Amino acid sequence: MYLSVIAYLSILLFVGISVYKVYRFAKMPMHGRMELYPLPKEMGFEHGGSFYEEVSWWSKPHKVSHVREIKEMLKEILFIKKLFENQRPFWWISYALHLGIYLIMAWTMLLVVGAITELNGIVVAANSLSIWGLLVFHLSTITGHLGLLLGTLGAGLLILRRLFDNTLKKYTTPQEYFNLLLIFAALVTGILVWSSDLSFHFAREVTAKLISFTPFEASTLLTVHVILVGIMLIYIPISKMSHYVGKYFTFHTVLWDNRPNLKGSSVEQEIKKASAVRPSTTWSAPHMKPPASPKM
Amino acid sequence: MLNQKDLRPKDLGRSDEQLIKLEPNQLMPLLPPYDKPGMEPALTDPKPAWREKYCTSLDGYVGIDTLTRPKTKEEEDEFVRKFLTGLEKIFTDANNGVLQPLLLSFDYCAKCDTCSAACHIYEASGKNELYRPIFRSEVLRKIVKKYFTTSGKLLGGFVGADIDVNWETIARLGELAYRCNLCRRCAQTCPLGLDNAILSKEIRKIFSQELGIAPTPLHAKGTVNQLTTGSSTGLGKPAFLDTLEFLEEDTEEKFGIKLKFPVDKKGADILLFHNAGEFIAWPENPVAFAILFDAAGLNWTLSSDIIGYDSVNYGIWYDDAMAKKVALMQMKAAKDLGVNRMVMAECGHAHKASAVVADRMALSDMKVPVESCLPILWEMVKNKTIKFDPSKNNFPVTLHDPCNVVRQMGIVQPQRDVLKAICPQFREMTPHGVENYCCGGGSGFAIMNYLNFPQFRDSVASRMKFNQILGAFQGVMENTSIPKYICAPCSNCKGAMRAILEHYDATEKFNLQYGGLVELMVNAMVSLKKPFFEFLEE
Repeated sequence: MYLSVIAYLSILLFVGISVYKVYRFAKMPMHGRMELYPLPKEMGFEHGGSFYEEVSWWSKPHKVSHVREIKEMLKEILFIKKLFENQRPFWWISYALHLGIYLIMAWTMLLVVGAITELNGIVVAANSLSIWGLLVFHLSTITGHLGLLLGTLGAGLLILRRLFDNTLKKYTTPQEYFNLLLIFAALVTGILVWSSDLSFHFAREVTAKLISFTPFEASTLLTVHVILVGIMLIYIPISKMSHYVGKYFTFHTVLWDNRPNLKGSSVEQEIKKASAVRPSTTWSAPHMKPPASPKM
Repeated sequence: MLNQKDLRPKDLGRSDEQLIKLEPNQLMPLLPPYDKPGMEPALTDPKPAWREKYCTSLDGYVGIDTLTRPKTKEEEDEFVRKFLTGLEKIFTDANNGVLQPLLLSFDYCAKCDTCSAACHIYEASGKNELYRPIFRSEVLRKIVKKYFTTSGKLLGGFVGADIDVNWETIARLGELAYRCNLCRRCAQTCPLGLDNAILSKEIRKIFSQELGIAPTPLHAKGTVNQLTTGSSTGLGKPAFLDTLEFLEEDTEEKFGIKLKFPVDKKGADILLFHNAGEFIAWPENPVAFAILFDAAGLNWTLSSDIIGYDSVNYGIWYDDAMAKKVALMQMKAAKDLGVNRMVMAECGHAHKASAVVADRMALSDMKVPVESCLPILWEMVKNKTIKFDPSKNNFPVTLHDPCNVVRQMGIVQPQRDVLKAICPQFREMTPHGVENYCCGGGSGFAIMNYLNFPQFRDSVASRMKFNQILGAFQGVMENTSIPKYICAPCSNCKGAMRAILEHYDATEKFNLQYGGLVELMVNAMVSLKKPFFEFLEE
């Protein structure tokens, strides 16, 4: 029973804290422009240019391709493109971890789907007569095996790389090793639990019990695994591992935001709102003080 | 002194007289003909008197001439206390204009170290640990964690809050903020989109906005001078008008062109905004602009209003409040004149300051649209408004991309199109365009000509650019009868070019020349009877 509570609570907190972080960044005051080219959404300037390459740019429509922006974002999210292009050796292990995590997320959802399918009386197995059952079974097996393997390998190699690379180890704090170790431990306990259950039948059973709050006998290993995964899910959004939130803002609202402040534009409205805010803190250098009001 | 390879961010608090020392043999090797021994001036130690007065304890160089050693323990403590107060403020509403980008770059660094390879200073220094882009950022994080986070106070070293904070730590950090050109090339490669330059600039801002400490050429003789006299050069209105008159006479004498600079012409279409330094250091540039704008039949004017004839805005490098004051006054000068557009001449940081940084400082009613001169220049060539003869520019030409114009504004193509059309021997540097390297003069370095700072700039910060130039001219470098021209359409970059050519004696030894884009255009004008460049005169 308490394992169900941990499972639900940790997922809830993971989503809740992540959403809260999004909300906090989204609510931050408007900042000055800091775009950095090339900007993927800039249409007609695919060589890395911008509307500033046009004479009287403000009198011409600013053509923006959201499709290209989304495509660029997907390349970053799905493949970590910038790391691939700029630091290939590191990309291999970082991508192993990230792809592993994506696959494990898919696997988890497939376990839930599989559990619900079985609760509805459809067999999820290699010899299932239902196409749905077969599909869920095979997809679960592939994502689960690959995800656990890649994730564990990635996390483990990242720890080793940080430990043995003369540069990285200077910049890695104990907390950052802890972050990776936590993921590694959660994944390794997963492998230990499910290594005797290669077809994930038991995993689906456990999932079914977890989602339906049905008490069951859990081994120590399984208990440790669920608790570790729970801690990890709560810890990720409060730590800097929540960069999945930050990355959206760094690109979308900082590096790729070149919307000019033109009459009647949405930017102008935002500036109006921002200019009404009077800061409560002020700077202290002599030249920052407002000039003394003239004596009457 | 430490071996730079062993240097860690927390060492910034050590009591060493000097943390590291640059050795010539560790610097990135230069390309031929500068690969031979003795081709490069030696690196020198700071004078003992400088050690006593300034902070030379980082790498021996002095970037901030107004940062002087405290005389008493009280002064020392006061300095640290003030810095920490300022540091706390950058995360408050006093810093709203950059809060979101700052927090993102501050919070999310995954220490993957992808940025290092993108940094020209780090690479040129022979991968010196001190100049690694994340080194400085990490020092800042450590101090913030130590004083302002619960985790840092409770867990200390576990979360990285393991640095000793004293006068030396803070002063070195301030110096280190002036070992970054704010070129933002590293931000282009960060997988998380983070920007170390934001953190460098925030350190500079704390020093200026809270402690009142900033390099003299940027603040006292820069923005303050500009706001009081009209120009950071100190050029007042009468002197400015005299200069124009002199240039008109000089142009007629040299080229037989009757030039009349339009000044304060009400209702003109274009207000042309020059970096006032051009009138003093490179007067041929504003002259070339005038010749071209007249030949193209543009309705343009200069302004003689206070601050209306100097486009610079050094505030964007170190102080948000000064940047805003300058930008708003410049906007007003244009608005008062009733022009349709402000056209930025060849000054990179002025481009960005007016068009991008100042864009959200005021509502559109207070503004006049800002545009770059480069598309206008390309239209002159493209539309054949002016007749050019490319054979007049038949010597090797390469193009330096000013970071502010290219990487930070996206103006990449027009200047290349002009060069391709009028310079038969045009060749690109590698890399170029949005991936260019900074000239080494960015963010104030080009005008910080005091103590031993020029040595750091010329030997380290500009080293990558010098190598790119040598690379572009391989094969013709050693033929001194062939002039080789570096086209740098930016006053600040030209300042850096002037400095490196002098430092390496490259004009004298190899006939390496530099200048802007408009000079090349005027030189190619069919109507011009003699070469515009002195180096082409027989």
